[in-house]
Amino acid sequence: MRLALAALALALAMTSPAGALTVRDMLGREVVLAGPPARIVSLVPSVTEIVFSLGAQDRLVGRTDFCDYPLRVRSKPSVGGMVNPNLETLVALKPDLVIGTDEGNREETFRQLERLRIPTYLVHANRIAETVDLITRVGALTGHQADVPRLTGAMLQRVEAVRRAVAPFRRPRVLYVLWPDPLIVPGRTSMLTELIEIAGGESITAADTDAYPRFSLEAAVTRAPEVIILADHSTGASTAGRAAPEKWQRLVSVPAIRDGRLHSADLSVLHRYGPRVPEGLETLARMIHPEAFR
Amino acid sequence: MSAGRRLALALGVLGFALLAVTALALFVGSAGLSPAAVARALAGRAGPDSIESVVTLQLRLPRVLAAVLAGGGLAVAGVAFQGLTRNPLAEPAVLGVSSGAAFGVVLAQIFGLGLSTLQALGVTGFAFGGALLAAGVVYLIAAMPGGLSIQTLLLAGVIVGIFFTSAITVLISVVDFNRLGGVVHWLLGNLAPIPPASLGLFGLLALAGFWIVVRSARELNLLALGEEAAVQLGVDAARLKRRVFVAAALLTGTVVAFTGPIGFVGLVVPHVLRGALGQDNRLLVPTALVAGGIFLLAADTVARNVVAPAELSVGVITSFCGAPFFVYLLRTRYRSNL
Amino acid sequence: MTTDRGLPAGDARAARHRDGSAPAPLVEFDDVSFAYPHPAAQPGGRFSLANVSFAIGPGEVLGVIGPNSAGKTTLLRLLTRVVRPARGDVRLDGCPVGALGHAELARQVAVVPQEMPRPFPFSVEQLVLMGRYPHAPARFFESEEDRAHARAAMEATGVLHLAALPLEQLSGGERQRAVLARALAQQPRLLVLDEPTSHLDLRYQAETAALLQRVNGQRGMTVVLVSHDLNLAAEVCDRLLLLCGGRVARIGTPAEVLRREALEEVFRCAVVVDVNPTSGRPLVRVAWPESRTRR
Repeated sequence: MRLALAALALALAMTSPAGALTVRDMLGREVVLAGPPARIVSLVPSVTEIVFSLGAQDRLVGRTDFCDYPLRVRSKPSVGGMVNPNLETLVALKPDLVIGTDEGNREETFRQLERLRIPTYLVHANRIAETVDLITRVGALTGHQADVPRLTGAMLQRVEAVRRAVAPFRRPRVLYVLWPDPLIVPGRTSMLTELIEIAGGESITAADTDAYPRFSLEAAVTRAPEVIILADHSTGASTAGRAAPEKWQRLVSVPAIRDGRLHSADLSVLHRYGPRVPEGLETLARMIHPEAFR
Repeated sequence: MSAGRRLALALGVLGFALLAVTALALFVGSAGLSPAAVARALAGRAGPDSIESVVTLQLRLPRVLAAVLAGGGLAVAGVAFQGLTRNPLAEPAVLGVSSGAAFGVVLAQIFGLGLSTLQALGVTGFAFGGALLAAGVVYLIAAMPGGLSIQTLLLAGVIVGIFFTSAITVLISVVDFNRLGGVVHWLLGNLAPIPPASLGLFGLLALAGFWIVVRSARELNLLALGEEAAVQLGVDAARLKRRVFVAAALLTGTVVAFTGPIGFVGLVVPHVLRGALGQDNRLLVPTALVAGGIFLLAADTVARNVVAPAELSVGVITSFCGAPFFVYLLRTRYRSNL
Repeated sequence: MTTDRGLPAGDARAARHRDGSAPAPLVEFDDVSFAYPHPAAQPGGRFSLANVSFAIGPGEVLGVIGPNSAGKTTLLRLLTRVVRPARGDVRLDGCPVGALGHAELARQVAVVPQEMPRPFPFSVEQLVLMGRYPHAPARFFESEEDRAHARAAMEATGVLHLAALPLEQLSGGERQRAVLARALAQQPRLLVLDEPTSHLDLRYQAETAALLQRVNGQRGMTVVLVSHDLNLAAEVCDRLLLLCGGRVARIGTPAEVLRREALEEVFRCAVVVDVNPTSGRPLVRVAWPESRTRR
């Protein structure tokens, strides 16, 4: 309810007649805009995805190298990486708003933008609810508020469907391996933990307070996960982020290995907070509760 | 030709080269500005919010100034360390001071300090603190009753450098996953546009370090005779070594604070200058200030433009130049003398 | 053991006051003792030098001789204030050297070291100009006057034609003369030479001896010469200081010091002392062991 009110306020602000408007971004910062933004540079792949999903790509003038969905995104010029965007290219695009995140972009970049008097809107989403909020805000910023309910409604419906499907079953213990070496897992504040919970599992690393803590293999084995999911980051071109399931096969004492419940899949959709989250959630649920989806 | 006149000539040539490279750096970039637009911005005739004005005056110009200061500072620190240790292969990185400063800055970044002026003092403070810590440890290891033992100094520098590099690696391994990219990026050595107040501070510190070294240049020449002989010629060798060491550490620490660790400038530039001007530090120190600026500015211009719109880190370019150069040195000039 | 503060041998070279009285000594060692901080440095006893007292008159040529680790180098270091005495005083022209500034002392005393660091990357002229530092340490570049002094010094030692060459390209003898030129460019009152002929062949030994006599004779420079070469010392020096185990064994004219019993006691080997027929100075040689083939 609160979120809806905030989004409504934002939408009202955006539809007011031309003139300076002040909005609050997701980190609580006040951002002053000269008018509804028409030239947006997105430094966040998730946001780029959302912009395209809302059909607002005509207002997008720049993206990063990592913005790769949908494929049409390539038609927009890139300003470089998330960590090190090229300021000159960015400035040459004459943006009236830059959208960034504190998880992936550098503070230094935001300070530079501040000095160049380019408004920066920061986002941060670690929950499905926050993702919905993000989509609503992007909708408001781009004047596509009308397209938001369709998108978010569909998302929430699919999430609910998964929740209902796995409700009758016991929650197995799940280990999600974000990166194998060093072992990085999702902690309490990561969205993955929420998704695992919705998918009917109980993440054995949920108690850790960091978002993405490093975990010892011993500790993971001691907690006897019944399902292990290996995130595969390799793209077609390189095998650099390959999940390497064979390394885990030798841990025969672990229930997941014993019962053959070791999965690896390209779950990069789950690492973005955008409209494709339900897709990843459904894949997760199928891995954790195959019996629910026969 | 007397030494004074040679210095004037060398500075004239180098000054001209610096202007040329500066012009090139200002006119070339990812924004695709025409030379006329850049010229307009420089002359102050473009609107303050126009692209050419913003890109030229707020992005390119501060970066050019930073490159010149950083390159000059590193080159002068290189000459100073080489004169002090009487070894042409000594450079700020070899003496552990670079790693110490980098450690200080990584620590500061983990505490969340950034680059606005007041915080710049904090980061510079951490960097200088790290540099002095490393330098101090090296100094203490190498200190002997008669002053610094130069051989021990070099070995101690390598060890301290390794220690701080390991410490940085430890910090990296525990830093928040999201900050990791930023820290690693910083460690490659980058030039970014620095706000005017910080740039002023940078300039002041660099020039202070330069001033101390240049005033000691004549005595550094005499140090080549050996410390005992230098003392017998009237040089206060103990104080000279201390002074030059502190100044070189100050220069290195300051540069690292603002740009991250950039290697090889302190090795390549003095060496090329020696080939042209000889060993006299009174010629080398002032020309290193200018030549270092030229070298780093040229390297940064390449880094900025060769794979546009992406940017390479300038430290990558200097290493690509420096490492083969170093090998060349070892194989040709120093075969018998190491 | 004698501690003879004898006057220089009656000789026109020594300066004298108008009333004929002996001039005040230029250098005085007054009961000086010194020990290196690391015990390994001194082979016998706690002190490297103990209770050393002697004086050097202006215009005198003093030779310091003695076996290895007798303390000759330590004596030089005390004289040039590289180290300070633990006890006693070293005085230059009545003033303790400890009270003089670094540059001030360097204006009075110049040292020709035994060895130069290798590689030495400067040219001959640059090396000689270094000798001008104590006269104007605050200057950045040397003045025209400095360059003139340097040229004169190089001419005096015969290396002017090598001025632009890097020191590394010179022969041993030429290098030695360049270093001597640097010391002369300092225009000192006291010239100290540490083993000046140790790496030189016969010709350069002869040249160095002649050079020293010229320098002392023409410029009235006081010279302290540390040498293993007893015969060189005997020929060139007015007086000799024989050190043994950090103490003064003998001091006096060559004839007084270079006596067989004294030398055998100090050097602990058999020697024969003859007289050089040309100069009348002593000629010392080792009494070689009996040859097996000798009849």
